Amino acid sequence: MTMTADATKGRTPLVEMRDIRVSYGGVHAVAGVSIDLYPGEIVGLVGGNGAGKSTLMKVLSGAVVADSGEIECHGEPAHIGNPRDAKAYGIETIYQNLALADNLDAPANVFLGREVTLGVGSLDDSAMENATREVMGRLNPNFRNFKSAVMSLSGGQRQSVAIARAVQFNARILIMDEPTAALGPAETAQVRNLVRQLKEEGLGIFLISHDIHDVYDLSDRISVMYHGRIVDTVRKEDVDTDSVLGMIILGKRPGEVTREELEALH
Amino acid sequence: MVTRKLAAVLGVFALVLAACGTGTTSQAPDGSAGSTDCTVAVSWNNFQQPRWAAADEPNIKGAVESAGGTYISADADLSSEQQLTDVSNLIGQGADVLILLAQDQNAVLPALQEAKDSGIPVIAYDRLIEDPDILYITFNNIGVGEAQAAAVLEEVPSGNYVLIKGDPGDPNASTFLPQGWDDAGLKEKVDSGEITILNGPEAGSGEWPADYGTYTDAWDTQTAQENMEAIIDAANADNQTIDAILAENDSTALGVVAALEAKNYGFPPLSGQDGDPANLNNVALGKQFVDVWKNANELGKAAGQAAIQLCEGTAMEDVAIDIDSSVAPLDGNSPTDFETPGGNTVKSLILQPTPLTAEDLDVVINAGWYATKDDICAGVTDADPGFEDCQ
Amino acid sequence: MANVADTAPASGQSRAAAGLARVRGLLGATEVDVRLFGMLVALGVILLAFNILTEGRFFRPANMVTLAVQAIPVAILATGMVLVIVSRNIDLSVGSLTGIIAMTYAMLMTDWLPNVLGMGVDFPMRWLIALVLGICLGAAFGAVQGFIIAYIGVPSFVVTLGGLLSIRGAIWYFSNGAAVTGLDPTFQLIGGGARGSIGEMLTWAIGGIGCLAVIAGLWNGRRQRRRFGFPVRPIWAEITLGVLGCAAMLGLAAFANGNYLPPGLASEYAREHGITEPSGGLKVPAGFPLPIILLIGVTVVMAWIATRRRFGRYVYAYGGNPDAAELAGINTRLTILKTFVVMGILAALSAAVVSARLNGATLDIGNSYELYVIAAAVVGGTSFAGGIGTIPGAVLGAFVMQALSYGLSFMGVNSPGQNVVAGIVLILAVAFDTWNRRRAAR
Repeated sequence: MTMTADATKGRTPLVEMRDIRVSYGGVHAVAGVSIDLYPGEIVGLVGGNGAGKSTLMKVLSGAVVADSGEIECHGEPAHIGNPRDAKAYGIETIYQNLALADNLDAPANVFLGREVTLGVGSLDDSAMENATREVMGRLNPNFRNFKSAVMSLSGGQRQSVAIARAVQFNARILIMDEPTAALGPAETAQVRNLVRQLKEEGLGIFLISHDIHDVYDLSDRISVMYHGRIVDTVRKEDVDTDSVLGMIILGKRPGEVTREELEALH
Repeated sequence: MVTRKLAAVLGVFALVLAACGTGTTSQAPDGSAGSTDCTVAVSWNNFQQPRWAAADEPNIKGAVESAGGTYISADADLSSEQQLTDVSNLIGQGADVLILLAQDQNAVLPALQEAKDSGIPVIAYDRLIEDPDILYITFNNIGVGEAQAAAVLEEVPSGNYVLIKGDPGDPNASTFLPQGWDDAGLKEKVDSGEITILNGPEAGSGEWPADYGTYTDAWDTQTAQENMEAIIDAANADNQTIDAILAENDSTALGVVAALEAKNYGFPPLSGQDGDPANLNNVALGKQFVDVWKNANELGKAAGQAAIQLCEGTAMEDVAIDIDSSVAPLDGNSPTDFETPGGNTVKSLILQPTPLTAEDLDVVINAGWYATKDDICAGVTDADPGFEDCQ
Repeated sequence: MANVADTAPASGQSRAAAGLARVRGLLGATEVDVRLFGMLVALGVILLAFNILTEGRFFRPANMVTLAVQAIPVAILATGMVLVIVSRNIDLSVGSLTGIIAMTYAMLMTDWLPNVLGMGVDFPMRWLIALVLGICLGAAFGAVQGFIIAYIGVPSFVVTLGGLLSIRGAIWYFSNGAAVTGLDPTFQLIGGGARGSIGEMLTWAIGGIGCLAVIAGLWNGRRQRRRFGFPVRPIWAEITLGVLGCAAMLGLAAFANGNYLPPGLASEYAREHGITEPSGGLKVPAGFPLPIILLIGVTVVMAWIATRRRFGRYVYAYGGNPDAAELAGINTRLTILKTFVVMGILAALSAAVVSARLNGATLDIGNSYELYVIAAAVVGGTSFAGGIGTIPGAVLGAFVMQALSYGLSFMGVNSPGQNVVAGIVLILAVAFDTWNRRRAAR
């Protein structure tokens, strides 16, 4: 089920980022980007290497602090100075490299930094294991290894742990950076089902992927970045994969691309 | 980012500074008694031990400066490699004569060669260097061993002995002190069966003295303590009593006392060497029987005087020293020949040690040694052997 | 949880392999940490070997007590080194730190407290004041090093190497290098020795508490799992562990009580309690030495911190993946700083045992400790890659290394020989660990 443009009017966006700028010593990784996300929608974020997609999302997840620009969450101005701030706003991130502590088990990873404690301040490992079993039951019922270090799990299982961590704490906004890059077909299908499921629950999801067909399949809107700027943000039904590809590679909107350039792409 | 790099650079810089050997330089005060432009360099092997700073150095320095010379030094901090660097540096700083306290008698030979090549006379101070051209100024280390064993053997002429030796790389520990023990009659008694060495093979089945006794790396007190504890346990397991302990020096003797106290074993007669304050205190308290004191004040004077004379061109055999007669060499105040274990004949000034038991403590108390009466008499009551001399 | 049925041999498989698989299955059912169990076995083998070589003279209570007390200074430090190495750092200054604090204790009790602060030589609680000051000093050193490492970003190897050198140099100035002896008699008890044991009754009490703790731990663990419906260990495994654990605790107590007071003190005891001494002397059990109690306390607290507190969890998380820890919102800098503060405090405790045993301090106390401590942690299973290591493992590692050292001394082998053996054991232990981990990863 996709959202039509009319359905988004009048609703408060979950997240609105305005004129975000990030530069590293003269290189403009993000050069004035504005983007927004509504509840129950998936926004695909695409672009070539170095386009700035990961950096932009890192600003939202608190891993990077923008040089300038504003962020609003649920209509209120938001200050995101570190990962904890982001989580407080209901923003959860699944990183490309998963950011799991390989030597700890699944419950420990899910609750990392947000551990459940007993009265005296000691860790309540049983409660955390229980909660993890519950959330994992929804995501990946075949997952059994709650006591082994995640280092010994398969790629798909590790991905499940990362996703479990993201959904455990009532996320409203989910950032997924290349979620299926390291997965086989079966596990990829699993993740895609999950993404759709979360969308039905009303989450807003930013999906970064280099796989055009994946993005096209799942997203409601697609934002294309090129050299730190947004080329355009379009609704899926208004474009085809070719024009998206053109935007990614040439950095121009469909209307601006000449026929010669378009032929050169094929 | 910049702060991190700067901090790292500063850190390494500080590290390099700290790692360089410590050194002291001094200038002779103007208007001093003598006038010479001799630079006397001293290469210490381990300046950390209290005796060097408290006794040897002030006296070497005093003798050098009162003759108008300049004193420079470096500390190798127990490293033979560091000592080679130190000697090079001292030569580079303009040393005219070198006083060398060898960390390892073999490893130091290249440094010795460098000094000889630069035409610098070398005094081997306290520790022997196997080379025919040096002037060996030391205490009669064999005599120290003899005094240690003589005192203990008189108390305990027969029974079970434990031998605690020092660092295996030091010829004093491996050769000279055991030789002194034999001169006092130890080997005879072991061969005749009157004395059994508990921490060694059966009499006759091992090589004497090498296989008998326990060495202590770097003369370390804690190592001596742990070794002694194991030895006491083994003796108890065999139902044998320890009747006497020959420890080669005070730092190891201190560890032995700690082990005896931990086991509430009592205090069989125990030897030591150096006259360290804590050990002299133990002698007064009855925990150590004899401490063979070497008045290093006089050794320092002798070396300082000899250094100045060598620098001014005096031939080695014509050097003449002027020190306390109770400590002066038996053969007179000029160097005589000494046969080394390695077969060299070296010119030497061999000073006399002073064995101290509880009755002799007044000698050291009155001699201006760096162990003060307070140090030596701390906690001494009328039940203790040193009580009288502590009045 | 391994299913024993799964390990039944396929036809054609060798009986030995099947037997091994079955043992592994059983071990898996008990969920005992294999590495730790292996260390205990190794320690047992070493003690047995020495006992055979010395025709039974070696393995006696008095000797084992000596061995244990000798191992304690390094073992205490090793518990802290685990956390430092797990979080991908190293502390090379522990030896010098122990040395300077030991010298501080000695100077406080022989000179500064009596003379400078006017407290008489027999001032009560001198030992406690010295101990508290020592702990503060250790924490302060640790905090300074930890700050430079965590907040300024200088690598721990460089900072603690600088600490090793400069602190060792500073010790000289306390007493111009001389040994300082004559500590407070109460302080000396911390080192154990003939008077520093807790006696028969308390030893049995501790054995009993240990046994109860094992049972309580097993029961509580089972209860927690039941609470959430998790799979529990089979009953036979629980009972076996309970019995073995309890037996071990009581066995250690009995063994410690097999160590008797030396004759002089036994006579004193007899007089005090109005007992007539039989011929051959009164056998008064000495029990656990005080430093052992200290070690037990330190081990329990450190293990608890490592596994049941957020600080410990964060140390391991950082060691496993520093970025993940940062992204999880953990204050990683503070966590690292704390590991060095803990190390400093442990150095003060270790220094107390060392100086109490020596009844003083010398310039060389703690020389090369950093090497023994790191070796103990590594032999005990801590990995330099970070994220892996246990507290009990490190303590066992310290005991394994000391067992070798003591055993060789007992047999009269000189220190060069001891060092050779220690080095070989270290390499073997790490090689075995690496091989084991590779096998598990396949």
